[in-house]
Amino acid sequence: MNEDLVLQIKDLVVHYETEDADVHAVNGIDIEIAKKRTLGLVGETGAGKTTTALSILNLVPNPPGVIKQGEIWLDGENVLEMKPHELEHMRGNDVAMIFQDPMTALNPVMTVGDQIGESIMLHQGLDKKAAFEKAKEMLKMVGIAESRAYDYPHQFSGGMKQRVVIAIALACNPKLLIADEPTTALDVTIQAQVLELMKQLIREKEMSMLLITHDLGVVAEVCEDVAVVYAGRIVEKGTADDVFNHMRHPYTEGLFDSLPNLKQRGEELVPIQGLMPDPSDLPPGCAFAPRCPYATEACTKAVPALQSVEGSATHFVACTAYADPDFKLRRNRDGK
Amino acid sequence: MIKYILKRLVMLIPVILVTSFLIFWAMSLTGGDPALQIAGDKATPEQVEQIREELGLNDPFLVRYAKYMAGMVTGDMGQSYVTKRDVFKTFMERLPNTLMLGGAAVLIAVLVSLPLGIYTAIHQNTWKDTAGMIFALFGTSMPNFWLGLMLIIIFSLTLGWLPSGGKTGFASLILPAVTVGFGLAALITRTTRSSMLDVLRQDYMTTARAKGCSEKRVIYTHGLKNALIPIITAIGLQMSLVITGSVLAETVFSWPGIGRLVYDSISKRDTPMVTGSIILCSVLMCIINLVVDLIYAFFDPRIKAQYSKKG
Amino acid sequence: MATETKATTKVKSRTLFQETWRRLIKNRGAIVGMVFLILLIAVAVLSPVLFDYETDIIGQNMAEALQPPNAAHWFGTDEYGRDLFARVLYGARYSLIIGVGAVMLGLIVGTILGSAAGFKGGITDSIIMRGIDIFYSIPNIMTAVVIVSLLGTSTVNLMIALAFSCASSFARIVRASVMTIRDQEYVESSYAMGLPTWKIIVKHILPNCLSPIIVQITLLIGTTIISASSLSFLGIGVPAPAPEWGALLSAGRGHIRDASYMCVIPGLAIMFTVLALNLLGDGLRDALDPKLKK
Repeated sequence: MNEDLVLQIKDLVVHYETEDADVHAVNGIDIEIAKKRTLGLVGETGAGKTTTALSILNLVPNPPGVIKQGEIWLDGENVLEMKPHELEHMRGNDVAMIFQDPMTALNPVMTVGDQIGESIMLHQGLDKKAAFEKAKEMLKMVGIAESRAYDYPHQFSGGMKQRVVIAIALACNPKLLIADEPTTALDVTIQAQVLELMKQLIREKEMSMLLITHDLGVVAEVCEDVAVVYAGRIVEKGTADDVFNHMRHPYTEGLFDSLPNLKQRGEELVPIQGLMPDPSDLPPGCAFAPRCPYATEACTKAVPALQSVEGSATHFVACTAYADPDFKLRRNRDGK
Repeated sequence: MIKYILKRLVMLIPVILVTSFLIFWAMSLTGGDPALQIAGDKATPEQVEQIREELGLNDPFLVRYAKYMAGMVTGDMGQSYVTKRDVFKTFMERLPNTLMLGGAAVLIAVLVSLPLGIYTAIHQNTWKDTAGMIFALFGTSMPNFWLGLMLIIIFSLTLGWLPSGGKTGFASLILPAVTVGFGLAALITRTTRSSMLDVLRQDYMTTARAKGCSEKRVIYTHGLKNALIPIITAIGLQMSLVITGSVLAETVFSWPGIGRLVYDSISKRDTPMVTGSIILCSVLMCIINLVVDLIYAFFDPRIKAQYSKKG
Repeated sequence: MATETKATTKVKSRTLFQETWRRLIKNRGAIVGMVFLILLIAVAVLSPVLFDYETDIIGQNMAEALQPPNAAHWFGTDEYGRDLFARVLYGARYSLIIGVGAVMLGLIVGTILGSAAGFKGGITDSIIMRGIDIFYSIPNIMTAVVIVSLLGTSTVNLMIALAFSCASSFARIVRASVMTIRDQEYVESSYAMGLPTWKIIVKHILPNCLSPIIVQITLLIGTTIISASSLSFLGIGVPAPAPEWGALLSAGRGHIRDASYMCVIPGLAIMFTVLALNLLGDGLRDALDPKLKK
């Protein structure tokens, strides 16, 4: 394992096995996050982003979730082979997570001070009182008055709750922060504030972050690296510059085409045709082929592997079309 | 909080008035002519009339009700026709026995059902869960007075371990308390299980796990505290079941409580005793419900906040 | 257009029913409960044909008194020499009639009260619901005692007494359902279209609380059967010599030392009947609302 990597996921496969169906949520994802880097995991709802995130903490709900294969390396240790006490030591201490919905992520019958203090108490060996004092400092750090540590979650607004969730996650200075759609459930004006706070804290504490989102704007704002997921597979990954300015995958192009552009208000949106395939019944070959404007017969034959784009060390794409050396996306054709 | 309790106590007054009025009215229509009952078969019409006058039975209904309620405030709810003893006093003498039986039953029920409910929820869809649920299903399907009879057959008549009735110390409390507690335990087990299952799916449980809490801590610190709220509501709603159960268990085990008192009074057509007991029972229920609400507030900060705002 | 809409709703409701049925017959417990109940209903219907009430059920035969279960009397005989097997089978009639009757009566009253409370709101709601709260807080055995002593002991009066507590629980379900549905947009649009209130209740509200009501009916019949037998056990239910199961237990109690089978068998009959209803009720709940199935 590369010394500079904080997280390395190799060929992760997760299924949800229910009576009615076998849902293939994650189908062989590879991810690396280097120290102090922020990776954006972009994709539609149901693409397997949250499952990937939960796998890192080995928290995929089982049943029905089953991690079929793969390795998740954190600091030279495979999460999937950790014993329960090792997992407990890792969670919250080495890796922390911020959840999508702050409304439901906090325990309604515990004061926020106790909830922040709990992870300090568990990982830093402090007693309850000392942990509570430290929790107050954490509250101050996320911009909430210390006196509110004695309040319960229902006394906070949505944005404030998400600040509390961030305080819980950062309480023990984890090396890696997983943020699962941290701003989706918030008002637009609050989103910017929370995002700004996260950016600043990550820089201060020199953490790495895995940011899960479907919002390309958020990715552009925060991430240095980007991975685009479709139906449980990574279809394109690279630095933000690679993916945003030199995109190679038709799906990535589709995502950008469906973004409204404030500067050119007259321009028509180009939505991606069709719907994401049912993850319990994936098509053979490339899962995007049925919706892809460039799809050919070959696309339905085999699942394309991630391949380096023109020998780049950072930029990879999984698309059969590049077997033809002259193939270019519409966006890349006019010499842009 | 104290303000809230006071307010609730004041709110009890109209409830008690309405309830007692209905019961008093219904009972005054029944039970035949008490004067005839007291005087016996050989009395002359004059004697009967004299008794009617003494008892105030000739007053208009509302006057009688007003007198009755005035009496109740001072603890005077008339005399039993049968034993000639004071109704209020008799009730209060019997009350501790019923509270003891009910308390022991609730204690047994909680001690059995909370662990069992949590256990079945954690092991959902395994044979352990199924076994626990079958136990609960039998518990809710069994008439508790019949369970009492079965316990007597097994533990008193066959094994000779425990007394079959009366109040003769701790041993005599066991069978009646199990009788009342068993059905209750079954109900609370089901509530605990479904409440726990509901809580287990909540996001804050994942938050707790992601923090590094051990599974035990997740379930007992984060889960149970939340699951308890509906469980307490359920226990509160079952309080009338405890009273009903006590009436039957007291009959089966000759336990000298309120239930036995009511049963005896009904069979002897002792109207003042029945009226008084039922009215006092409903007052008791109101107070129990208030206590349950307060316990509820203690466990749920959202409710507590509401109360302090109101009061 | 109108016929078209009708046709589609018909198809939809049929598939909903089939879907429920498909899920229900997958549930082993529910099947067991259903089979038992069908047998029990058959027994209840046929028992007047099988037995003569005057001779087989209440006719005394002191020569055969207190015989333990044997080949001639499968469940033994009681203190008057009556065959307990015949009496227990015949007793199914009482339990089923009282259980179903009280619950249906309670359903009608409860639906009216609940929808009135939910729809009118305000003071009507407060009065009805406070009344039901008060009623609920008094142990239902006490209420039944008051009502039965007011009306006298008979099967019908017992049914009425027990219907009261059923009514309060139906009223709560219906009211809660009305409150949530009342403000939904499709109901508001029905109002806007000028549909009368009662039609809205029948068309929109009742179908929406049908699932909890069906489940509640099944479970309440069980509870009511237990309550009825409890009251008979106390001597304020079905009057002797009718072979109601609670009354049989009450008679058996006097012979608990010398003829304990008299205490065991009628109780088993009650337990299995209620168990069957509970199994079916739980199965129905899971089948009607798969989201609730955990």
